[in-house]
Amino acid sequence: MPYHTFKCSECIPERAMHAVVKGPGEDLTSCLPLGYLNTIPGTISERGCAFCGAKHVIGAPMKDVIHLCHGPVGCTYDTWHTKRYISDNDNNQLKYAWATDVKEKNVVFGAEKLLKKTIIDTFKAQPHLKRMTIYQTCATALIGDDMDAVAREVMEELGDVDIFVCNAPGFGGPSQSGGHHKINIAWVDQKVGTKEPKIESDYVINYVGDYNIQGDAEIMCDYFHRMGIQVLSTFTGNSTFDELATMHRAHLNVLECARSAEYICNELRVRYGIPRLDIDGFGFDLLNESLMKVAMFFGLEEKAQKIIDEENARWRPELDWYARRLKGKRICLWPGGSKLWHWAHVIEEEMGVKVVSVYSKFGHQGDFEKGVARCSEGALAIDDPNELEALEAMEELKPDIILTGMRPGEVAKKIRIPYLNIHAYHNGPYKGYEGWVRLARDLYNAIYSPMYQLAAIDISKDEIPLERGFRSRRMISDVTLSPEEANVEGEHPYTGEYDNVTRLRTKVYPELEAQRAKHQEAAEEVLVPAK
Amino acid sequence: MDETMKEKIEILADYIMHRCLWQFHSRAWDRERQNAQILGVAKQLLLGEEPDLSTPELKCYWLDGFHLAKGFRQRFDWVNQMSKEELATLMDGLKERVDYLTIHGSLNKELTVAAY
Repeated sequence: MPYHTFKCSECIPERAMHAVVKGPGEDLTSCLPLGYLNTIPGTISERGCAFCGAKHVIGAPMKDVIHLCHGPVGCTYDTWHTKRYISDNDNNQLKYAWATDVKEKNVVFGAEKLLKKTIIDTFKAQPHLKRMTIYQTCATALIGDDMDAVAREVMEELGDVDIFVCNAPGFGGPSQSGGHHKINIAWVDQKVGTKEPKIESDYVINYVGDYNIQGDAEIMCDYFHRMGIQVLSTFTGNSTFDELATMHRAHLNVLECARSAEYICNELRVRYGIPRLDIDGFGFDLLNESLMKVAMFFGLEEKAQKIIDEENARWRPELDWYARRLKGKRICLWPGGSKLWHWAHVIEEEMGVKVVSVYSKFGHQGDFEKGVARCSEGALAIDDPNELEALEAMEELKPDIILTGMRPGEVAKKIRIPYLNIHAYHNGPYKGYEGWVRLARDLYNAIYSPMYQLAAIDISKDEIPLERGFRSRRMISDVTLSPEEANVEGEHPYTGEYDNVTRLRTKVYPELEAQRAKHQEAAEEVLVPAK
Repeated sequence: MDETMKEKIEILADYIMHRCLWQFHSRAWDRERQNAQILGVAKQLLLGEEPDLSTPELKCYWLDGFHLAKGFRQRFDWVNQMSKEELATLMDGLKERVDYLTIHGSLNKELTVAAY
């Protein structure tokens, strides 16, 4: 077995099977770390809790909802807007956070009265919002507060509000992934099927497992709308409460992050017969195929091909410019969950980089199967690494950049390894054709940042090279390229806009408009039968 | 099965592992269904047969099977040179190999968890 033991974890024998190196000839029957197990005492995990997985990842991107934590105020602050899941309603869900602020007396005497009062107060404070999610936390779960009963009572009293109860306290699983599971099932149990959508197209999908980080979901919906496809809901980025309650009417569930949202797709398949199609929204080649698959389900191949041709022609030369300069750069791909497998292979194929390590804090073994299968020989796969292990990996592997979240990313910066935030993104969206170029641009900017050249100088002992001036990124990156390679006709750095999402919100889609008109006409004929 | 056929099966299995996601559903029973349906459609298409598209579920399997067969033909020219008998042997062997990698030989302990 190709297990890897970190020196720093020799004193924690339970970590022995949590890291593997994919050696020559290894496959999934010999090379797979353990995953999604309870955190081992003695290893300081960087994981989130089940509450965080339910609220911070999946619940909170819903845009027209009051997100109320039933618990101490810290749970609320620590899951408030550190992930940039934007929306087209002025980012309501990022601006406001609500808590019952449970105290000792509530733990002793119960917090249900406090919960009811807070629900009513928050609806009064934001009278334009009529939808709410209440999130259970550890403290209120342990004292046994019946949130469902309180929610029912308030809904009866107020009449015009709808409340979703998410019962995923922090201890409800080994990691945030336990919360993903709980909120998926709770949503399909409580809300799916309680509203009916206005069907406006012959082609109707749910786009599932995308949280609209810096506009990712809006980019993908642009492609679908250009084909005339109606997106009933995006689970859950930039979606409304009521849109998500209509998921049962889609013809197809298009699934992006299977880690966080496969549960609802599986349930919708069993309960409503809606098939599940797993796709890749990252990387030109995989995205080409993914869009074509969705199109083929509805017989829209020509429309998809037009989009694929246009987007590839527009963005490929810019991707190639960066790929030429990123070739051979060593990266640690240390995301949360799905980018582990979405990127492991295609980033090597299309940007020329070498993935030397993959990890996930909360991934299941199924996620590592995808990641290990897709990454190249020699890659180190780690489940739930602690900070010391991550440092040791960086010292051994000597990567040029770490792709990860804020906490490990800031650690990497301390040892002068640049990091790119691929949870909340640096300058995303990274999805779609243009997004993939933006990712390449951000990788290039980070790896060749002149700051890292300057920061590497120890002014207490190193000689300062006074004979040489400041070196720009281009001077650093192009030094190994021949003049021909550096100046390939047509290739150039990114030329897109700073904000490539906002304009989509007012864009007119002729194919979708035609579908709407057709369905409107059909509806009118039903209302006024022809004589 | 001769060594050449085994090598070809390994190449195609490697292609699936690097490119596809459908073989990695959560549970063993789920994977058995996915592998049988999608590799079944790909085999039918390679043999020139018409797959059944009569339900949304079958149509969805066809999407993945279609792109798999297309990818095989585009990237591995030797697939285009094979007889129908050889293709049937190839795809049966591939199904057995993918089942082994993702189900029977898998180290994934969650595959047999009863709860979904």
